[in-house]
Amino acid sequence: MTSSTADPEVVGRLAAHRTPYLVGVRHHSPALAGVLPALLDAAEPDVVLVELPEELGEWLPHLGDPALTAPVALSGAHRDGSGLAFYPFADFSPELAAIRWARRAGVPVRPCDLPLAYRDGYRAAGGGASPLADALRRTVTGRDDEDLWDRLVEAPAPGQDPESLRRTALMVGWALRADAAGSATGVDPHDLRREAWMRRVVAAQGDRRCAAVVGSFHAAALLGGPAGEFARVHGEVVTSLVPYGFDLLDERSGYPAGIRDPEWQQAVLGAGGDPAAVEAAAAAVIVRICARIRELGHPAGPGEAREALRLAVDLARLRGLPAPGRGEVVEAVQTVLTHAEPWGRGRVVARAAGDVLVGHRTGVLAPGTPRSGLAPAVEALVEELGLPGPGAREAVALRLDPLRSPLDARRELTLRRLTVLGVPYGEPTATTGVGGADALTTRWTVTWTPATAATLPVAGRWGPTVELAALGTLRARRSGREQGEGHTPAAVLADLADAAVCGLPDLVGDLLGDVATVLPGAGTLDESLTALDLVDRLRAGHLPGVPAGVLDAHPTLSRELETAAVAQVAGLAGATDPADARALVELGLRHDAHGSGLRLAAALRALADDGTPLIAGAAGAVRVLLGLASAGELGERMASWLDNATGPDRRTVLRDGLTGVLAAASPLLEAPETLDPLLDRVEALSDKDFLDRLPALRGAFTSIGPGARARVLAVVEQRTGDRVDVPRAVDPEQLAGWLAAERTALAALDAHGLTPSTQDFKTDRPALRTSTVDEAVELPAGLRWRLVLGRRGDRPQGGARYAAALDELYGRERGEGAAGGDLGADLSDPFPDVREWSDELVALFGERVREEVLAAAVEGGRFEAALELDPGAVRPSVDLLRNVLSLAGGLSESALATLRPLVARLVRELADQLATRVRPALRGLLLPTPTRRPTGRLDLPRTLRANLATARRGQDGRVAVVPARPVFRSRGRRANDWRLVLVVDVSGSMEASTVWAALTASVFAGVPSLSTHFLAFSTEVVDLTDRVSDPLSLLLEVRVGGGTHIAGALRHARSLVTVPERTMVVLVSDFEEGGPVAALLAQVRELVASGVTALGCASLDDTGTARYSTSIAGALVDAGMPVAALSPSELARWVGEKVRG
Amino acid sequence: MSSAARQVEPAEDAFAEELAFLAAHDDGPRPPGWRLTPRAAVTFVTGSGGDTLALPSGVTVPGVPARLAIGPKFVGERALVERAVVTLAGERGLLLVGEPGTAKSMLSELLAAAVSGDSQLVVQGTAGTTEDQLRYGWNYALLLAEGPSPRALVPSPVMTAMRTGGVVRVEEVTRCLPEVQDALVSILSDRRLAVPELSGTDGATVHAAPGFTVIATANLRDRGVSEMSAALKRRFNFEAVGPIGDLAREIALVRRQAVTALERVNAPFALDDVVLEALVTAFRDLRAGVSVEGWSVERPSTVMSTAEAVSVATSLGLADAYFPGDRDPLSLLPGHLLGVVRKDDPSDAARLLGYWDGAVRRRAETGARTWRRLWELRDVLDG
Repeated sequence: MTSSTADPEVVGRLAAHRTPYLVGVRHHSPALAGVLPALLDAAEPDVVLVELPEELGEWLPHLGDPALTAPVALSGAHRDGSGLAFYPFADFSPELAAIRWARRAGVPVRPCDLPLAYRDGYRAAGGGASPLADALRRTVTGRDDEDLWDRLVEAPAPGQDPESLRRTALMVGWALRADAAGSATGVDPHDLRREAWMRRVVAAQGDRRCAAVVGSFHAAALLGGPAGEFARVHGEVVTSLVPYGFDLLDERSGYPAGIRDPEWQQAVLGAGGDPAAVEAAAAAVIVRICARIRELGHPAGPGEAREALRLAVDLARLRGLPAPGRGEVVEAVQTVLTHAEPWGRGRVVARAAGDVLVGHRTGVLAPGTPRSGLAPAVEALVEELGLPGPGAREAVALRLDPLRSPLDARRELTLRRLTVLGVPYGEPTATTGVGGADALTTRWTVTWTPATAATLPVAGRWGPTVELAALGTLRARRSGREQGEGHTPAAVLADLADAAVCGLPDLVGDLLGDVATVLPGAGTLDESLTALDLVDRLRAGHLPGVPAGVLDAHPTLSRELETAAVAQVAGLAGATDPADARALVELGLRHDAHGSGLRLAAALRALADDGTPLIAGAAGAVRVLLGLASAGELGERMASWLDNATGPDRRTVLRDGLTGVLAAASPLLEAPETLDPLLDRVEALSDKDFLDRLPALRGAFTSIGPGARARVLAVVEQRTGDRVDVPRAVDPEQLAGWLAAERTALAALDAHGLTPSTQDFKTDRPALRTSTVDEAVELPAGLRWRLVLGRRGDRPQGGARYAAALDELYGRERGEGAAGGDLGADLSDPFPDVREWSDELVALFGERVREEVLAAAVEGGRFEAALELDPGAVRPSVDLLRNVLSLAGGLSESALATLRPLVARLVRELADQLATRVRPALRGLLLPTPTRRPTGRLDLPRTLRANLATARRGQDGRVAVVPARPVFRSRGRRANDWRLVLVVDVSGSMEASTVWAALTASVFAGVPSLSTHFLAFSTEVVDLTDRVSDPLSLLLEVRVGGGTHIAGALRHARSLVTVPERTMVVLVSDFEEGGPVAALLAQVRELVASGVTALGCASLDDTGTARYSTSIAGALVDAGMPVAALSPSELARWVGEKVRG
Repeated sequence: MSSAARQVEPAEDAFAEELAFLAAHDDGPRPPGWRLTPRAAVTFVTGSGGDTLALPSGVTVPGVPARLAIGPKFVGERALVERAVVTLAGERGLLLVGEPGTAKSMLSELLAAAVSGDSQLVVQGTAGTTEDQLRYGWNYALLLAEGPSPRALVPSPVMTAMRTGGVVRVEEVTRCLPEVQDALVSILSDRRLAVPELSGTDGATVHAAPGFTVIATANLRDRGVSEMSAALKRRFNFEAVGPIGDLAREIALVRRQAVTALERVNAPFALDDVVLEALVTAFRDLRAGVSVEGWSVERPSTVMSTAEAVSVATSLGLADAYFPGDRDPLSLLPGHLLGVVRKDDPSDAARLLGYWDGAVRRRAETGARTWRRLWELRDVLDG
């Protein structure tokens, strides 16, 4: 059949055909379902044929049962789960209408489609030129994504007589078929085979009058065509009839053979083809959408409902339709209600429209329908796999090796799928692979409990086999996100992991697509790296049931994720967590394979220059790894940190910077010359200088874990030629040499009258006295390295006290090899308590170093150390305050009482310092001032005074002033009732930003023209406004920890807004939102839309470098909330500017 | 039409013939105050799709041809235009929102010309727009000399449109201060404007004549500058106008406008098609956040509007005209792109680098000559 055939003639032939009488339908069509009884009444067939595979015929009596409530779903598949044929039925399905009619009329119904057992090919993905359909589409459409059937058959249907509707449907089907036949691939061979079977069934009816209710695409094929050869290619076919729901029937749910907005279709069916009734249905739907929007907390009144209905009806009229169709209703709702905000209000409207148009109807099977679906399928499956079934009561422990044994692979998939379905059956036990790698075998504890049997029928709603049901749940989760709040990176990754372990390659493919769209926009660096790991596992084929080929459809995914991760790198500038440094290094190593790229290079350069010492170090190391900088350059930089580490601040820089560099320790050591300058310096330093820096050095080297440290040690050994890692086995000869040298030196000093005071030291340890003579190096290189690199308990002779003092702090091992027992347990005497330790520290390192070590100890979790700090003597710094405060939660009340003076002093001094800086920015008001700009408020007295020169006496004697220069009043703003809401993220650790925010809030609280609110939030929001003037109690109230839910905090902040124009909301956070980003953006838009002045602070501290999620910050900026890293005085300046207007 | 030469003709003058033709062509019922039927208004904006329309038999209008093909003026979905026309037919306010450079203003001008035959009642919204421009002002000399009188009253375009039953356009409504915008609320809901100064006289209230309505445009990127109040939003129907969907159409548009701009200074336009395509492709990729090939691209916060592409094309053309043979235009392209992208946010420059790393590099690897050259020019960006 070609497109040259004149269509009126073809359609005439189709309509006039009597064996069979043709009703061309679409699987869901309220228009045809409505007229089908009338058509069949008129045709009076002896038998009705419906387009269903032969095997499903057994269900037709149950399907036609008057006690059955639609929607229900009929399905059939081969025993192995392949070749699924799936037919959801609703009241508006023409086939169901035909089956019901036949039951009423007592006419037999036969399935006429190719049996599943005979099917060996499936429709190839279509697509190609469609000239006829395009021509039809042009006549009716304005929209780009038009559904031809909807426009030509459904929308014009109201008011049409049944016969002309049948003709239209046949015509559309014929046009689509002619296009398919004319395309390069022709009609799909699978369709041709099915049609040949249908002709055979028609022929088998003999001379009985028969009516065929088939897809309108196939109608033309029943006019005649070649007979086919059919051979059975499959064995048993499993069929089932299960209740279904409108939420699954909706096309967007991801289930096959659905239709958009079933509740609307149901309403159209109910209207029975009367245009006025369809219009009334549209009115009802629109009113319910508005009501739902109001329930969701957004305005949508009767006025808007009226306008939406008016628009829908007028659009239908403009397009020549008898009544508004689905398209018109949706367009009208969008135009009137969404306010062109796809994220904020648009989401709300979409959700409301989804609730109303999709609906929640569920089906019920007629009593007496045989049991089918998931529960019997699972019982058969576990029996086949040798897993405990309904008979077994005992728990079975299994160890599965899915990559080696196909049976284990199937068991693994079944257990995973049941877990995803929420069926309590198998419990996984954690396993770790060799060397921390991914485990390739799994352990399970499996029991069949009554709960298993009870939950299976519930889960059966999702599909008739365990694979389909798991697929269904995961798809429903996905589409729920799509229609609700939107994807979050965490949810997409979790689903991807689930789909991957459940062996659902199609879904994995879709989710990989989601990952590619969601993560680049909203993912953090960690999430991007997690996704990359998962992709690597998929590529390696470590997941049974998911072939590595699933990645073929996403050839650029890895690169895109890497690109996304690179985009996040700029947000690391303020990071202080070694995990961030390691993530940066990991990202750098990933790029090693294919060159760095311009952006990463630029970002790394910026980080190395401006980042915190930790990140600068890590960035420097990555630059060396990627060949962007020379190893020598980095080495010199590290050496300079060591040289400059003269004060406590600089020593922190040394520790953090070195920690950053060492995050890349393992790969860096392949080019040991990087470390040379540092090693040289360490060996060349004077004893005193070395000992000053020792805590910082040791702190840095501890961060990398014993494994990597051992490798550094190897490098050092090579240099010095000593073995320095033998515990307690320093060569006695050498030690004797050291002591001798020391004695000589001391003697020399004595001779010159330079004997230092020895009262600090016990006389039996003369060798350890700190030298006052710079040139004299008392601790040899090997010993120094032992002190820096040694393991806990590794106490070099001659340096035992130093080592023990530092072990107290750094002894706890972290990282690779930490758990290994290759070194004996700690065998030396630990310090009895902190006080003694602190004394020892003074003796060994001096007062200044002691404070640093204690502060570091506090940071490392040695809470008691804080109690040793002298409130009067400490140098107030936010870092110290932060460390002390992070303990507040873990201390007893009495300990807290000791701590309070310290905190009080720190807070007082810091707040005073801050107030001095901040106050000037907050002074002054602005009153209305005269202006020549025409503002509409004429200042009459001034105008008169300014224009006296132009006063003229008119002829009637009256004086007229000609106001050549009118004067106006500008808008004055009252500045004394602004409200400032500080919304502070306390989800992470006690960040410096939190402390600064509390201090700043206390300063703001003292400004009379501002009322300041303080909200601390993690996943919960705590309003600390009543404490805001007292930073001490405010800070002691803050409890850190928990997740991040910024949207929730902003929702609470919105409730504090009374006069939006005079309210500022300042959000202090790292923007790593745990909830859906769309919800966050909606909150921000709401805030901004109501007129509130909003500001995001990526950090609020003295440095102005921040660690935050750049992608979410970018989205917030788009939503109208500027984001910046500010210092408190900059924030004050900003507030001042806003208040003054 | 007018004796003095104009840079740009208003729509009702530029398409006077088509408007007169369509008025005669479709004599169906019209909403009160309309020059055309809604269907004819849609045809005027979207064109007749290449078909030649004929006047109904027996109808002749002097100066109007019997048959005419209506040219397409707005490149976009027809359904959008249909919704806009139906909105106006209901005398409801229409708000066109979209990124800058998506021809919102052109669409509003065409609609106003089609509906009321006059697109020149315009209020241009700025931060300095006062209520006078939306309500009414005074001739202050007369006001002081004579007191309030209808003679001293200076009507705004809005007031004029209310009196004549026409369409008034408010451009960039979100740039007006919120309290100024709110002047529109009562006008749109009550359909009348009170002049309290003239109370007790006939001029105390100005009633809107049938046909009066408002088309406003707003810029998505101005969100947060002066957001509209919810009360005002509820009185408008919203239509989002998107960027041009088709690469070839956008290239043609950029070429056409760049040629016009260069003609004005009598410079010939000699820009290579290849350069133009690279330029427009880069703009589209960065605007959409996804490349032509479907690779994801990180979007800069700057607007990558067609209008900006035109200005870059013009600059390239000018460089070629005034400094011929100096450097090839392609080598200037990265610098120009950087200039467009690096406006407000310094990290946008990093995003452009990301674009070079991703799309440009991959295209260069597939061997496209233009893109290979652009990849070689990458050092320009990393300054």
